[in-house]
Amino acid sequence: MDFLKVTSSPHMRHEDSTRIIMIDVIIALCPALIWAIYIFGVRALTITLVSVLSAVLFEFLYRLIMKKSQSIGDFSAAVTGMLLAFSLPVSVPLWMPVVGSFFAIVIVKQLYGGIGKNVVNPALAARVFLFLAFPSEMAAFTKPFEKLPIFANTDIIATATPLASLKEGTAPSQRTFDLFLGNNPGCIGEVSVLLLAAGALYLLARKIITWHIPVAYIATAAVISYIFPGSGMDAVQYVICELCTGGLILGAFFMATDYTTSPVSAKGRIIYGIGCGLITMFIRICGGYPEGVSFAILVMNCLAWYIDKFTKPRVFGGAKKNEKK
Amino acid sequence: MAITFSGGIHVDGCKGTSTKPIEDMPAPEFVALPLQQHIGAPVKAVVSAGDHVKMGQVIGRNDNALSCPVHASVSGTVERIETRNSYIGAGKTEFIIIKNDGNYDLCEDIKPLEKNVTDLTCDEIVNSVREAGISGMGGATFPAYAKIQSAIGKATEVIVNCAECEPFITANHRLLLEHPMDVINGVKILLIALGVHKATFAIEDNKKNAAKVLEELVADDEMFSVKLLKTKYPQGDERQIVYALNGIEIPTGKLPADVGCVIFNAETCASIYHAVVEGMPLISRIVTIDGDCIAESKNLRIPLGTSYRDIIEFCGGIKGNLSKIINGGPMMGTAQWDLDATVTKGTSALLFFSDKYEKKTQPCCIHCGKCVSVCPMHLEPVYLSMFSKASVLDKCLDYNIMSCMECGCCSYICPGNVPIVQYIREAKDKIKAKQKK
Repeated sequence: MDFLKVTSSPHMRHEDSTRIIMIDVIIALCPALIWAIYIFGVRALTITLVSVLSAVLFEFLYRLIMKKSQSIGDFSAAVTGMLLAFSLPVSVPLWMPVVGSFFAIVIVKQLYGGIGKNVVNPALAARVFLFLAFPSEMAAFTKPFEKLPIFANTDIIATATPLASLKEGTAPSQRTFDLFLGNNPGCIGEVSVLLLAAGALYLLARKIITWHIPVAYIATAAVISYIFPGSGMDAVQYVICELCTGGLILGAFFMATDYTTSPVSAKGRIIYGIGCGLITMFIRICGGYPEGVSFAILVMNCLAWYIDKFTKPRVFGGAKKNEKK
Repeated sequence: MAITFSGGIHVDGCKGTSTKPIEDMPAPEFVALPLQQHIGAPVKAVVSAGDHVKMGQVIGRNDNALSCPVHASVSGTVERIETRNSYIGAGKTEFIIIKNDGNYDLCEDIKPLEKNVTDLTCDEIVNSVREAGISGMGGATFPAYAKIQSAIGKATEVIVNCAECEPFITANHRLLLEHPMDVINGVKILLIALGVHKATFAIEDNKKNAAKVLEELVADDEMFSVKLLKTKYPQGDERQIVYALNGIEIPTGKLPADVGCVIFNAETCASIYHAVVEGMPLISRIVTIDGDCIAESKNLRIPLGTSYRDIIEFCGGIKGNLSKIINGGPMMGTAQWDLDATVTKGTSALLFFSDKYEKKTQPCCIHCGKCVSVCPMHLEPVYLSMFSKASVLDKCLDYNIMSCMECGCCSYICPGNVPIVQYIREAKDKIKAKQKK
């Protein structure tokens, strides 16, 4: 009892810290990872581990070299690594997630000041960087249950993703239910809508994310694809195909909801979600790429602060705006 | 279904003391009574060192300003008058230190009311309340007489704030269970003073037994009603209570009286009863003693001016690693630094905490927006703290920083451990200082 600590109130804090939130996100991603290992083989796990470890390592090294306090303990780098791996095809060479992690952690995140300061989502920015720099590797999707080496480079014959088929104007070869389950070619973590939704429910129940962004995003994408269905397809079936493929569920629940790069108010989040949905469908329907989730979220990331600025909630009691002198 | 407001947080109530009856704590050898225990102007000492005072005698008053007289809480000799730092953050203030003679001689001015309460005029009631030195006992310490005066002609409803939404505190809960008639009679006096015919007890639904007691006692009086509120912090805030009960938002910068309500804390009502009917000034109050570092948690009726040191001794001493002593609740109370600090009119609880309720990580905002979703005033604390940190006061005003009531929900929920309220307080102080210039 030599001295008493004096701080500003409140003197109690909620037990959830940044670290606990990040661990929750990792937990929520695990079902989809297990599915990826089942369907794409152990190589999916290898890619994920390489990505996570390199992301954490780059964060550690950057903070060390720049003489900043260590931040790997908040697990945000691990989440970035995991999300990056989830948005890569399983056949990519092992150096690719390392390059991606470097881009995500050092260039997109740390150079802007680290967690909470980056403008765009690091994992998505890295994915788009890899996509533009290495287009053939990034488009080399394999069929489910194809035998791939665990470590060595692959030499596979790429197959069309369901979304690419839609782009060509043909219905995907998979049954719609398989698309929902995740029995289709695609990036490591994006295929199983069922298990991603399970993880998302966990995050919603734990109040890590709110419903606003994903619901607005998915609903907008659904409405647009219902209005403009692909040729010769049943509108409802087309909507389901659009929603279940191309990482839309992964993006809506796990990437668009990234705290740092999305708005804070409920109204702002709904506008942000609608924006993501509109841009995604615009790129998918009118653009040159079959999928548009990454670009849509990155564009909306850049607008998030402006959305916040124009969607300030009405103050309880209705305070007037500050009169400038 | 219980009614409530939007925003706010669900905190572990930690109301372990709700089953502990109120005990009377004997007055210690010395009491130290600050001359500023209320919002308003400090009072001036009317006794000097060496004077003999009786229990309940006025020892400090200031009739020309908004203030509450201070009374001796024991009989004895004035030892000295000294200047100390105010323990409630009001700068320097004078303390009158009285050596207790152990006789508890009651001042002869204290006489029970000789006529019927219903025959009292408004002025008589206001005067008794003022003379008794009653200030708001929920923690805000606004002089009660001034509140009554400001509500005359405006208020059509008296709300009795029994929400007690701060964790740990159970003083009002015990008061309502053990002496409900004191509270009800106090409210009746307020109704007479204000000429109002409607009183509502607003009580959180974690105190259903107290609500039941009240309901039974006021069942055949149609002026009274008991409303259950959802247990949520800060349910006891005036603006949130009025919204929960009547669905009215008090406009920014206005008072509850402007929308026809006047709100009194339950213990304030009981004190008003004692003041008007028994002539008893406010010289003791109920304090919840709790926290993980006090040997025995209790509800105590403590003479004002009793030092923390004496209370700790009465409660069996400190256990574990004491890190903080908090005067008030854990959400809005003030951390104390001195064991010689004393119980004042606004001390609803005294909490002894180790560091187990704190987060130990480096503060870092991750822009999660949780503070926005919990803010009961619907502000954006994330931006308030950011602009405050950068001292951009204009932006703070743009984001309506002055509407913040510093309830602490944002800091509580923040996963990044950012002391948001502290930043907001700093900016508010700077803005106020600038406006004074």
